[in-house]
Amino acid sequence: MSSDSDHAIEKGRIDLVPMIDCIMLLLLFFMLTTKFTSEEKSISSILPTNKGNSPPAKPTQVVEPPQTIQVVITPAGLPMMHTEREYQIWYDHNVAVGQGIIPTAELRMGGNPTTITLENRTLSQRDNPNLEGEVENIHAFIHAALKRYEIPGKPRKEQSEIVVSCFSALSWRYALIAYDAARSYEAKQGGLIDAMDPNSLTNARAVSFAPPRVRNESVKEMGAELFELHRLK
Amino acid sequence: MSRSRRFKPEADDGHLDLVPLIDCVFLILLFFMLVGRISYDQRNEQITVPPTKTALKMIENKDWTRVVINVFGSTAAGKIPRNSIAWNADKPWVSSGRDEQAFVGYQKLRDKLDLVYDSSRKFDDPNGTKVPGGGILQLPYVIVEVRADADTEYRVVQEIQMLLVDSVNPRPDQSGASMQPKVPQKPFVNLEFTTRKPGEK
Repeated sequence: MSSDSDHAIEKGRIDLVPMIDCIMLLLLFFMLTTKFTSEEKSISSILPTNKGNSPPAKPTQVVEPPQTIQVVITPAGLPMMHTEREYQIWYDHNVAVGQGIIPTAELRMGGNPTTITLENRTLSQRDNPNLEGEVENIHAFIHAALKRYEIPGKPRKEQSEIVVSCFSALSWRYALIAYDAARSYEAKQGGLIDAMDPNSLTNARAVSFAPPRVRNESVKEMGAELFELHRLK
Repeated sequence: MSRSRRFKPEADDGHLDLVPLIDCVFLILLFFMLVGRISYDQRNEQITVPPTKTALKMIENKDWTRVVINVFGSTAAGKIPRNSIAWNADKPWVSSGRDEQAFVGYQKLRDKLDLVYDSSRKFDDPNGTKVPGGGILQLPYVIVEVRADADTEYRVVQEIQMLLVDSVNPRPDQSGASMQPKVPQKPFVNLEFTTRKPGEK
């Protein structure tokens, strides 16, 4: 009646079969539940609660427009045109045809005509060895422009607000990279150790995303949005 | 002599030598335990988040609840359509289009946010924002993680931000006005954009 394992123990050997069973099960578990993608990170942000529906100003009250620095991102190759209709025609011919991802964008700061080109393909390839350099170039461009807008002697919090105004049909990556660059500039200027820590950002100026001109995919309004973005200073 | 004794003795009496097998299995096990990470259901693998330089590791805080809003960006056939939204690990729904469907999608998201808001602990808005009925605006102990694909359209992420802060009606009214700002009632202000370091794959 004695089993093989009893026999093995009698002979001075340890029965390894239960241990192998356990290890195999553990191995199977790890093989099925693990993945090898990189760990995701995040940028924290605190949304404002006091920018909603503010009461209208009294007629006699002089309201000064807030001073903002616009980071404007539009599709690349967009020529300066005179009417919303012309922009709409340009959009219909150059962008809306494939209804896909717009391949290239341009970024400019405020009224400055100098732009930097943002290539969707370059910025989307995870294994692109130049990706870090590309992101670094965009940061350098934005940092140089922000330096020109710096108001000497003013505390960080009173420096002009930075607003990222991105064409609504463009990819999210452009807006986030611009936002990231503005925050890293602020982190450097303010001597902040942690650009992500909301507490440390309370001493920094506001960096925000402009609300979209178009809430839904309303193709008719794209021309009007491009017209406005092209004229943002 | 010793070499042949090492490999042969078990086979001599009808037993296989399991030690090399166990060695290998242990090594593989160790590899998976050290290198792999257990997959997290809230994070759909069809999303590739954009690269940023100031990104840092997410820190979990026991006092705060985390919800993840996944937004998809792929235009490839067979993938979840671009601009679709998924709440945590729920089934995604479409949020874009030229019809009412997009607004239905946004309304669905706001309904889910309302449920979370109602069931969460809250604190007074540090800005001291007053609410119409009197008192100070209450903010929930909730971190909303917006995990948007790099190719998601910008307007969808912005729409989500406006829905989070509750500053706009999710759906336009009968007049067709596209923007109807409102006084925030149930806002979520603590936000995290999921991202990755440029050099990391």
